[in-house]
Amino acid sequence: MQVHCRESSVQSSRVSPSPLAHHSLHFGAGAGAGASPICAPAAMISQFFVLSLRGDNIVFRDYRGDVSKSSAEIFFRKVKFWKGEEGEEAPPVFNVDGVNYLHVKHSGLLFVATTRVNPSPALVLELLQRIARVTKDYLGVLNEDSLRKNFVLVYELLDEMIDFGYPQTTSTEGLKSFVFNEPVVVDAARIPSLGPAAMFVQGSKRVPGTAVTKSVVANDPSGKKREEVFVDIIEKISVTFNASGYVLTSEIDGTIQMKSYLTGSPEIKVGLNEDLTVGVRSSAPRDFVPDYSSGNSVGLVVLDDCNFHESVRLDDFETERALTLVPPDGEFPIMNYRMTQEFKPPFKVYPVIEEKGPFKAEVRLKVRADFASNITANMVILRVPMPKTTTRVSFALEEGAVGQTTDFKESTKVVEWCCRKIVGGSDHVLTAKLTLSQERNVNIKKEAGPISMTFTIPMYNASKLQVKYLQIVKKTKSYNPHRWVRYVTQANSYVIRT
Amino acid sequence: MNADSRKGELADLKAQLRQLAGSRQPGVEDIKRELYKKVISYMTIGIDVSSLFSEMVMCSATSDLVLKKMCYLYVGNYARGHPDLALLTINFLQKDCHDDDPMIRGLALRSLCSLRVKNLVEYLIGPLRSGLKDANGYVRTVAAMGVLKLYHIAPSQCTDNEFPAMLRALLLNDPDAQVVANCLCALQEIYTAEVNVSPETAARDREHLLSKPVIYSLLNRIKDFTEWAQCLVLDMVSKYVPSDSDESFDMMNILEDRLQHTNSAVVLAAIKVFLHLTISMADIHQQVYERIKAPLLTLVNSGSAEQTYAVLSHLHLLVLRAPVLFSNDYKHFYCRYSDPTYVKKLKLEMLTAVANETNTYEIVTELSEYAANVDVAIARESIRAVGKIALQQYDVNAIVDRLLQFLEMEKDYVTAETLVLVKDLLRKYPQWSHDCIAVVGSVSSKTVTEPKAKSALVWMLGEYAYDMPDAPYILEGFIENWIEEDSAQVRLELLTAVTKIFFKRPPESIKMLGAALSAGLADAHQDVHDRALLYYRLLQQGVEVAERVVNPAKQAVSVFADTQSSEIKDRIFDEFNSLSVVYQQPSYMFLDKEVRGPIELTEDSGILPLGPTIADDVLPSQLVDATDNDLLLSASDKEESVAAVSNGSHYSGPDLAGFESSSAPPRSTSSPSSTSQVTSTSAAAATSLLDFEDLLGLNTYEVSTPALFSLKLKTKPSLVAQAFQRKWGQLAVALTLVRFVY
Repeated sequence: MQVHCRESSVQSSRVSPSPLAHHSLHFGAGAGAGASPICAPAAMISQFFVLSLRGDNIVFRDYRGDVSKSSAEIFFRKVKFWKGEEGEEAPPVFNVDGVNYLHVKHSGLLFVATTRVNPSPALVLELLQRIARVTKDYLGVLNEDSLRKNFVLVYELLDEMIDFGYPQTTSTEGLKSFVFNEPVVVDAARIPSLGPAAMFVQGSKRVPGTAVTKSVVANDPSGKKREEVFVDIIEKISVTFNASGYVLTSEIDGTIQMKSYLTGSPEIKVGLNEDLTVGVRSSAPRDFVPDYSSGNSVGLVVLDDCNFHESVRLDDFETERALTLVPPDGEFPIMNYRMTQEFKPPFKVYPVIEEKGPFKAEVRLKVRADFASNITANMVILRVPMPKTTTRVSFALEEGAVGQTTDFKESTKVVEWCCRKIVGGSDHVLTAKLTLSQERNVNIKKEAGPISMTFTIPMYNASKLQVKYLQIVKKTKSYNPHRWVRYVTQANSYVIRT
Repeated sequence: MNADSRKGELADLKAQLRQLAGSRQPGVEDIKRELYKKVISYMTIGIDVSSLFSEMVMCSATSDLVLKKMCYLYVGNYARGHPDLALLTINFLQKDCHDDDPMIRGLALRSLCSLRVKNLVEYLIGPLRSGLKDANGYVRTVAAMGVLKLYHIAPSQCTDNEFPAMLRALLLNDPDAQVVANCLCALQEIYTAEVNVSPETAARDREHLLSKPVIYSLLNRIKDFTEWAQCLVLDMVSKYVPSDSDESFDMMNILEDRLQHTNSAVVLAAIKVFLHLTISMADIHQQVYERIKAPLLTLVNSGSAEQTYAVLSHLHLLVLRAPVLFSNDYKHFYCRYSDPTYVKKLKLEMLTAVANETNTYEIVTELSEYAANVDVAIARESIRAVGKIALQQYDVNAIVDRLLQFLEMEKDYVTAETLVLVKDLLRKYPQWSHDCIAVVGSVSSKTVTEPKAKSALVWMLGEYAYDMPDAPYILEGFIENWIEEDSAQVRLELLTAVTKIFFKRPPESIKMLGAALSAGLADAHQDVHDRALLYYRLLQQGVEVAERVVNPAKQAVSVFADTQSSEIKDRIFDEFNSLSVVYQQPSYMFLDKEVRGPIELTEDSGILPLGPTIADDVLPSQLVDATDNDLLLSASDKEESVAAVSNGSHYSGPDLAGFESSSAPPRSTSSPSSTSQVTSTSAAAATSLLDFEDLLGLNTYEVSTPALFSLKLKTKPSLVAQAFQRKWGQLAVALTLVRFVY
């Protein structure tokens, strides 16, 4: 059977007649003619290693001894010089000489697994991601430096997380009893002194997910462990506007993430909007008006779909829209959700592109922040590809502009406009005067754009999904840990076509 | 660090370790730790520190766990290459295997098993055997994996010592789920490898692994397992063939909430089970597609780019199998600015696949936007996608408009891709030649440089010489530059085009034909030379003869050959949730022969009987009396399971037809008939169970769980059978029933 299939290779342009009942291909017991076949179930890796972006080996663990030790080099060369047209990245999974390489990028590091068998790619990639997250839980900060300083601890973790290539326990909590090395805490650069909540605070430019940089096993200098729990609602929004300014597509991909430093495994109840609807799209009762006040939210929050972490119990979800869980240590998503219901985009962009005589054109961008004035967006960056005949660009910012920078990248012909802060309700304008190398430019409008935008808006969420309460179910009344509920919205793909 | 100074440093380390070996000074452990760390860090970056082996071992007589673990790590790394030195470690490892601390027992056992030295195997057997019986779950977990390691070093010693049989016992009875999971990994690997040694036994053993009692006992405690072990279990369940559709539905009921997991690996593993369970029930199979759509789309967007890729590859496979079911979801496949190229490429293929009369306009409009993209690779792919859609569709005007737009962009790569596209269109729809040729005529031949595009242009010039007045003159330009033309493909195409033009417009082209043929005959490229010679000889035979050969009346191409046969596609589908899906190749194409192996449990299990002593017709029933002894059920579950017993076989095939409507016949949870079934079959179940124990070699072990033949059914209202049915019945189902190619 195999020989037969080999002949009809993928490249073959022959159209085979579609065979009937093909799902029941039959294999004889000894089909894999030849030497001892070692074939494994769905999950098995041969090696695990972590490389820096320069290709240095930081951590290397061989579990099965069936892949050459030079795999890290082979892998790195392949990733670095990935074939294909410019700008193409190596895919997360590829095969070189019978060895499968799977990798994820995390915190500027490459986490790689190799295998000779045919595992579930989702499993291996999830596992790599999990290893990165657990390592971060233990080290507080995950980067090359912290890994190098703590590699013995990392090996302790790896030994327990994977045995003979099979994943074992990967829960931060479960691993605690196996870790004996104290983490050498590396100072994360640029951590504001405001404490772990700082990144969600207005004006900070930290990225979500790296908010809490405390190791789960490190002892506090004060000797006292701070009882606290963080619940972050992180929403990534994707919006595409057409040339007339209408929304073509929009979607919110949200995560409710938790990081708990509570002792004694208390149960936590997370209450969401009571009128939250899941999975009902067009058939949702449109005329339904909630007769109770539900905070500021107007109208129903309708999620297309959501999924939950293993630890979440949904007993009260149908009735009260509450999630109950005993949070394990470390950072993990309680719930992911997806929403395609219409929402108000936080920014509107009005571009004007005009030809201004021979060899000249002008691009005028106006940005309007469409949210409340007590909210400030951080690091708002607009990128506009210019016509390829553009040779020079001069910028004119509005009068009194603060914290705005402009740049024209000659090689890519992209204009970048960066505003460190934009307060809700305000307008900002940039005028870019272009010098072109061609006299006539018929298609100047088509050649500039589309505009893409990135930003982070703390304490804002586009979906109106809210954590209404965060109840800690524990007997003693004196127990009152710090509870943080934080919101942040980020642009995932925010595109304005011209 | 150069070689000399490295040597010096190693010698230094060696001396320091030697000095510390016997020392009992306070604080010595800390110094040792630092030295050990240094050694391990060298080891990590690939420096050979095996010369320190004996010193490391000498220093390892310590109670300090941190040191011990580093030593284990070191030993594990070098023992294989230095079997003589490895012997030195046996003593202290064996001693540690009897330590009071279960963690030390476990760690030592793992190190012992990881030495991978064949002549030390004898020292392994004892500790491994006691490890499997250890009171502590962690030690048993390590021991179960240790059996597999032993098997890899010395297969016959592993089987001779009855280790697989011990694993089988643990598989059904161990209270620690991770022990069970490791037993499962080990047994699967061992049985697969054993096929070559004793095919019959191995085949029987694998059958037992896939038998109802094992599958049910795993399913009943699915939530005890870690996410990874759940994947493992689900993968095995996907190879199990239920006896009837009732059983399939019970299994799907139990697994339905796995679709809501945040871990994409669990969800995909569960989906594989669903797809395989329903493969012979076309309508239900289609509903599975509808059901898994939303969870897959959520996963696509909730993880990292890498996870997105893995999930999207699977969605891509499903879309290609049943495009109609996804035709309304096309907007989900629009590219996002932040998507990496490898994700965008998949999305473009999906957009191409789902395009039909209702959505083509939107999709092509979207694709046209990408054609102007800064990302050249994606721009190209987008134009190709438009081309593929055009070949499936009928609206000539819309497509020609797009083509004009593309050419207006005056980007070389866009023009090139467009020309190739137009050529393919013309081959399928010659009737569009008038519109298309107008487009091509506007292209300046100088801007076309890519061989593929050039060939396409040349072909069109030759083919449509009547419609393009200046065709001979454009070709003439090409012929004059024959020498500079690097691509043999283009030169071949030129020969044909010139000859074809000669048949149509001889006076204008006879000179050019002569030039082309002589250039072709002098060409260094064999194929070009041969073709020129062939045409020359044909023309010698007479123009008419030559025309019949070179330019016969052609039929329009109706279907372009698919790059993949449906057989290959089916193979990939069978290997759902594996790398095959990502590579879009069945595993035999990318795996080494020796690792490929005959693991295909799936296929066999459908044909072979379940085993001589296990009655095939045992109904999924539960021994009510036995539940009290059932260790695997928690107290609260016990009550539920009694209530759940009545989930006998109530569905029959015809009922399934009503599945699409929400008014599916409700399934009684207290039906008297099913209760009686339970009692009547319990005896049979018990008898067969006894046989089963014999087979598993359980006689030496105490069996605490006599009956696990039935699934611990879900009793929560939201997930009971009727609700399941109703819920699924509500899913929007595409109007047409899709025919899956099996």
